[in-house]
Amino acid sequence: MFWKKYGDYVTSCFFILISIGMYMMAVALPKSKIMSIGPDFMPKLVSTVTGALAVLLLVKTIYKSRKNGSATAEESPEDCDYKKMLSSLILILIYVFIFQPAGFILATMLYLICQFIVLAPPPERTKKKIIGLVIIDVVFTLVVFYLFRYGFEIVLPAGLLSI
Amino acid sequence: MDALTQFLGAFVNVCQPVSLLFMVAGVIIGIIFGSIPGLSAAMAVALILPLTFSMKAVMGMNMLVAVYIGGISGGLISAILLNMPGTASSIATCFDGHPMAMKGQAGKALHYGIVFSFIGSVFSFIVLTFFAPKMAAIALKFTPAENFGICFFALVMVAVLSSGDLLRGLLSGLFGLMFTQVGMAPIDGTIRFTFGNTNMMAGFDTLSTLIGIFAISEILITAEERYTGKTAQLIQMEEKTSIIGLTWDEFKVQIPNAIRSALIGLGIGILPGIGGSTSGMLSYVMAKKASKHPEKFGTGIPDGIVATETANNATIGGALIPLLVLGIPGDGVTAMMLGGFLIHGLSAGPLLFVKNADVVYGIFAACVVCITIMLLVESLGIRFFVKLLKIPKYILMPCILVLCCVGAYAANSRIFDVQSTILFGIIGYLYHKLGLKTTPFILCFLVGGMVETYLRRGIMQYKSFAAFFNRPIFDVFFFIAVAILIWSIYKESTGGRKVDED
Repeated sequence: MFWKKYGDYVTSCFFILISIGMYMMAVALPKSKIMSIGPDFMPKLVSTVTGALAVLLLVKTIYKSRKNGSATAEESPEDCDYKKMLSSLILILIYVFIFQPAGFILATMLYLICQFIVLAPPPERTKKKIIGLVIIDVVFTLVVFYLFRYGFEIVLPAGLLSI
Repeated sequence: MDALTQFLGAFVNVCQPVSLLFMVAGVIIGIIFGSIPGLSAAMAVALILPLTFSMKAVMGMNMLVAVYIGGISGGLISAILLNMPGTASSIATCFDGHPMAMKGQAGKALHYGIVFSFIGSVFSFIVLTFFAPKMAAIALKFTPAENFGICFFALVMVAVLSSGDLLRGLLSGLFGLMFTQVGMAPIDGTIRFTFGNTNMMAGFDTLSTLIGIFAISEILITAEERYTGKTAQLIQMEEKTSIIGLTWDEFKVQIPNAIRSALIGLGIGILPGIGGSTSGMLSYVMAKKASKHPEKFGTGIPDGIVATETANNATIGGALIPLLVLGIPGDGVTAMMLGGFLIHGLSAGPLLFVKNADVVYGIFAACVVCITIMLLVESLGIRFFVKLLKIPKYILMPCILVLCCVGAYAANSRIFDVQSTILFGIIGYLYHKLGLKTTPFILCFLVGGMVETYLRRGIMQYKSFAAFFNRPIFDVFFFIAVAILIWSIYKESTGGRKVDED
């Protein structure tokens, strides 16, 4: 149980780091010449408060783990399919970055079919089912594109296919 | 009563068959836009606006109102069924709506949402019809100091939201505040934290943030479920079929909650620039605070749905008050409506009531008719909405993601908005893994920018922060907020000790 055991350490350390970074950047911001609080006020305030609370959380977590020892470690192993999650994340990332250059139609058709196959439970991945998924993919993409283009007059990026 | 006769006259006009037809169409379009995460009520109004060019002023206005009302209330459908708020207004509907649907009460949850949306709207339109000019006069007296007080109050609500886990809740909220700092600073436009990226100058778009936190992270969470052979739990629908779906007893116990929520929604709506998303959340938190069983909130109780949906719909009427009386739009959607007024040659403002009283009362009448249409359409449509969930998750989720990306892109035609959704999606996913709540993050993100703007504007006006305290309304909000904060910290420290002793 990585997340349960070390979650609060990760959270507090992350917030300490980000608040230090933010404060350092805020110091570099120009001060206002006409009013008492300038653009640097809010970031400094937010980062200081965050830093203080994060340190408090870290102290509390350390205190708690000292007290409890390793009593919390005996829980059921987590049952998460990180491979599926990461491949979905990568697919989404690729999708948003080819959204403009490749155009909506190509990018979406490509993304949807890959994502369907990644997410589909293994018994559903037969050839027949996949053909069905491809049909859903193509129809959905075209319907969305034309609906937005002609129905709502929102032009989605055309990219390589210049329609 | 002059207002009443004018209103009744307009009511008869609105009930013409052609006009009714347009309004039904408008409400349905609004609901569709509202219920798809990523497509917002503002976008629906923007799309309908050109269609009203060729209509008569009254008809055009009616259609816009119909779309607006449909759009705001449509958000509850996806919030309850998919745990993704269709619009920003229904964020807090997810908290109790989705757990309730998971418990097999999807139909009941939807009925609660729909009925109390209706109640919230009715309440706000009654106020709008009879007290609009008076209410607007009060709102006009608000200076940045008072607005700062209210926003500060909303921020402090984060502490209440995260009671029991105060420290981590506050950190979660502060992270949201950090994101509001990105881009050009209010007042002087100093560029902050953009890392030289020109796309970040305008800051992060609210829509991208919402889509990321709710939709993208939900997809990632779905993706990590290991396949075990048994079918995942599907949202079940009760067998009972009555059109209103609530018994009188169920309705009765929610009345005090609904009244409080409606007042909060109306109050927030009247103040320009705060909007339905804040009012829904604020009202949810207040309901939790006032409830006899606050620990049940978040586990799927109707109170949470009632609070949110009553408030966000009461905001509609509230937002129309400054719009019609003063010509000041309260949020993005009403700004778009103001555009609609101008196109039809109506200048919103105090004179609108004198010169174009027929149009004004036409709008009021249209509001009343539209919410009735909304009630009917949504109540009848419940079976159909739930059917959509029969689509396997592995097909539904990617399709929603595509619609989200389209929505994020269409709002500003900026590819950066689409890409930033991924960042927020990852944040949402990590929050889920770390057991942090996303609600404080969202609330702070929505209010954070306003807090800074009003604070600095107020200080510009009054020269120092101390002068804020001369404003009584500010004092009330500020000191209540401080008291709540101190009380939360006190309760947390004593509560924490109890847990340790156990």
